[in-house]
Amino acid sequence: MIRIALAMARIGGLVVVFVAVLGGMALLTATGVIVDSGFRSQLPLRLVQAEVMVSARQSIPVKEDLPVALPERAPVPGSLVGVVREVPGVAAAVGDLSFPAAVVSGTSPPVPGGPATAGHGWSSLSLSGRLTAGRVPRGQDEISLRDGRLGERLRVVAGGRPATYRVTALVDAPGLYFSDAAAATLAGRTSGGRAGTVDLVAVRAAAGVSPDELARTLRQRLGDRYEIATGRYRSDAESPGAVAGRGLLLVLPGSIGGVSLMIVGFVVGGGLSLSINRQRRELALLRAAGATPRQVRRVVAVQGLAAAAPALAPGAALGYFLAARLGDLLVGIGALRADQPLVYGPLPAIAAALLLLGVVRVASWAASLRVSRMPVVSGVADLGEPSPFRTNAGLLLILASLVLSGAPLAVRTEAAAIGPATAAPLAVIGLALAGPRLVQRAAGALARSRFVARLSGPCWLAVHNTHGHALRTAGAVAALGMVVTLGLSVTLTQTTLAEARSAQAAPAMRGLVTITAPSLSGIPRGLLEEVRELTPAAGMVTTTVVTGPLAFADNPRLTARPVLGLGPDAEGLVDLDLVDGALSRLTGAAVALDEQVGRVGERLDVIMGDGARVEATVVATYRRGLAFGPIVVSRDLAAAHTTTGLDSAIMARPAALAPLLARWPAVEVTGATQGPQAGVASGQALVNLAVLAVLLAYLLVAVANRLVATTTARRDELDVLRRLGATPRQLRRMIRWEAVLIAAGASGAGIVLAAVPLVMLGIGFLSRPVPAGPLWLVPGSVLVVGLVVWLAVELPARRIR
Amino acid sequence: MRPVVTLDRVTKRYGDLVALDEVTLAVPQGRFVAVMGPSGSGKSTLLHCAAALDRPTSGTVKMGGTDVGRLSETKRTVLRRKHAGFVFQSYNLLPAISVQDNITLPLRLAGVRPDREWLDELVHRVGLRDRLHHKPAALSGGQQQRAAIVRALAARPDVVFADEPTGALDLRSAGQVLDLLRELVDELGQTVVMVTHDPAAATRAHETLVMADGRVIDVLDAPAPEELAVRLTRLAGGEPVR
Repeated sequence: MIRIALAMARIGGLVVVFVAVLGGMALLTATGVIVDSGFRSQLPLRLVQAEVMVSARQSIPVKEDLPVALPERAPVPGSLVGVVREVPGVAAAVGDLSFPAAVVSGTSPPVPGGPATAGHGWSSLSLSGRLTAGRVPRGQDEISLRDGRLGERLRVVAGGRPATYRVTALVDAPGLYFSDAAAATLAGRTSGGRAGTVDLVAVRAAAGVSPDELARTLRQRLGDRYEIATGRYRSDAESPGAVAGRGLLLVLPGSIGGVSLMIVGFVVGGGLSLSINRQRRELALLRAAGATPRQVRRVVAVQGLAAAAPALAPGAALGYFLAARLGDLLVGIGALRADQPLVYGPLPAIAAALLLLGVVRVASWAASLRVSRMPVVSGVADLGEPSPFRTNAGLLLILASLVLSGAPLAVRTEAAAIGPATAAPLAVIGLALAGPRLVQRAAGALARSRFVARLSGPCWLAVHNTHGHALRTAGAVAALGMVVTLGLSVTLTQTTLAEARSAQAAPAMRGLVTITAPSLSGIPRGLLEEVRELTPAAGMVTTTVVTGPLAFADNPRLTARPVLGLGPDAEGLVDLDLVDGALSRLTGAAVALDEQVGRVGERLDVIMGDGARVEATVVATYRRGLAFGPIVVSRDLAAAHTTTGLDSAIMARPAALAPLLARWPAVEVTGATQGPQAGVASGQALVNLAVLAVLLAYLLVAVANRLVATTTARRDELDVLRRLGATPRQLRRMIRWEAVLIAAGASGAGIVLAAVPLVMLGIGFLSRPVPAGPLWLVPGSVLVVGLVVWLAVELPARRIR
Repeated sequence: MRPVVTLDRVTKRYGDLVALDEVTLAVPQGRFVAVMGPSGSGKSTLLHCAAALDRPTSGTVKMGGTDVGRLSETKRTVLRRKHAGFVFQSYNLLPAISVQDNITLPLRLAGVRPDREWLDELVHRVGLRDRLHHKPAALSGGQQQRAAIVRALAARPDVVFADEPTGALDLRSAGQVLDLLRELVDELGQTVVMVTHDPAAATRAHETLVMADGRVIDVLDAPAPEELAVRLTRLAGGEPVR
């Protein structure tokens, strides 16, 4: 059977399958690497000599879902160090501290983990490295580091406090090491809510005690209040921010992963059905020779798998390459840290291979169902009619997509954009299903029109071929329509949301400048007070909080959201367009909410970024929820629960700030027009667009490949036409006209399907029936479709002589 | 009688294979000529060359007084459109368009207005009046071949070339098609050149050319079926004929 199947295979059709699987493999493997990294990507371990680490729990378990990671450091009591030290099997236990620290005089190499956690107490060095020269820093103004000169005086901002330090020691570990006393002060552990705490307890096991054994003992002694990490999990304990950050990697491809799987399935299925159609006659003969429908389906399946198998390995290689490029992009937009590499395991390739072979198996079964059941006697010259079930299912999906697109009319939170975003993929599946019948109807109407009846031979034939071979034409029309719909709707949805966001952010921040210090991981202490002496200014903290569902269509379980912390000083500066309450009351356990989410005076349970549970009072409600998110917390509350405890930015009225800022190193001033939500969203949008571009390129190559194969396979048909008196020129013209019809049909269908959700989105978010630009994408996509069809058809057409 | 197609010492080679060997022939107007011979005897090549579907390696083919050999593919196509009609074993109707559109297709390609009366008469004659708006797949083999004959005649060509027109048909349909061809010759003065395997088909022709090894070895005037059968059996036996 296998031998027969392979002998029957037509190379042309199977090349299409091969290319489809190759590209699909690359896409799925690349997505898989990102997802895999979302679970496993880690920063390099700092406390390399600690076999076990005891830290607070940095995640909240969620029923039937992944736990929500907490990005801000939750400290543990300093007394825990003593308790751990007494546990049998522990050779040494150190209370480790990390705090923001950066050398601002001259240049220093970047520290793994960034400046936010570059400062440590001297005792941590016993587990992270060695003293290589000099003596232990003892005074408040002494420091040690890896790349420096003994005795050198350095300007350092540590814990938000600028000061001059003398280098007393050189070490072989990254980061800046201070005396333990200085570290405790700089990390804010000598007073306030975090007094007497440490970040984690790093443990070295006694000789002959295995880390796992020790971890077990510790777990028995300490209970499950603490996270006890060994092996590669130590890195997670060291940097909770990195754990939460990589969670973003899971979200990024998730938003487009479904679409890519759908496209891969569509392309592979299309390739297979092309291959099947080219050997209809042989398959019919096989049936006539006594093969059962099941055997015919097996022949088709074997051919499909034979074409898919050789594409797996090169596809996977291409996928890893693509993932690396995607990783660069993620680093470029700040979604992934440069020192947090992607994980290139074998798992994504294996999973992608299994998935694709499954897709090929299912697609070949579906594509061969009708051919295999064809009555033995008939069917050879049959063109195939689209089944009514298929058509109706497609029309239903298109209808459903229209209903979904209406969501922004009802709700105006960001979640409403999910409606139109889901509508587009649904619509294109609908188009693929209903396509043949739609093409048949449209071309039929065209063919019957008086206008076409008067056209010249080639043009007339082109219209009639499109009508008569609707199944053949519809494949290309649907695939190209998919390119147009997805390209337009995904891109313009993003730009429309971005425009809606900045339309709210711009008036909210009108007439303000932003002061930031990215290389210090936060605004140094004292700067805000000095700015305030010159001009009205407000500090702003960005952090993450975890809440239950707030608005319609939110995740019903817990969701981590980036939020802004504002204080009373924001009143009169940052305009949230308040409905009720006042920003001046944003102190202590207080929050402001989007007016659609709650009312002043209500209580809201909030889990802060370090896991602290707070019952906050709603003190204000506002309208600009797209720019500021559904929730704004008080700055006090936010700052008390961040790793650094520093402001992220200062918003101020413009004034002669230059002389002041010259005294503060590494501080930058920018005009503020972007809302705080814009950064995260635009990063995500960029990745979505990049993935989309790759996807659409894949789809275009696949369609072009298919068109070439279809046109080449028409040799018999063209020979007949020539014998009936068609000149080569007429045949070329006919084929070109068919190309024009395909391109026009695809562009038209694609634009219509994209337009409905986009118009709704425009009405909902911009109060006008037009989405945000760039609207040249519309003619642009038509041009791309036209170009691809032209190239794919012109090549074989030129060979007609 | 004026010859519609003439072949003068036409040779066609495919590499080393000589498919036609210096064949000289004239097909007079109003004649029904059958071409027979065993497989590989060159009868299809003869048809292709005579119909200007293919170019001879040497010698001249004239159709409507024009030397075909010197024309480009496009010019030959235009010439064929004007002077020749074709009927094929596999009907070669386009499945995507209706029977009527199939019939007028060559006219459309030539940019010529169809002669309604002429077409009506032809359609009536072959009995396809009520099948015109169907797709070819809805017609029986005999009906499809009759549609193909109407198509071949639509442009009032000087000559109709038929390549095994009954090869795919049952006995009854084949008889109908052959009767039709003979009728066209007798009643409308049409010229038909038909390649066939079937001695019964050849008996409907005015004359039968018998081919072997790329040459016309015999011309039989209205042969009786038995006589033809005997000749062909001897050829099939591989007996050399000089």
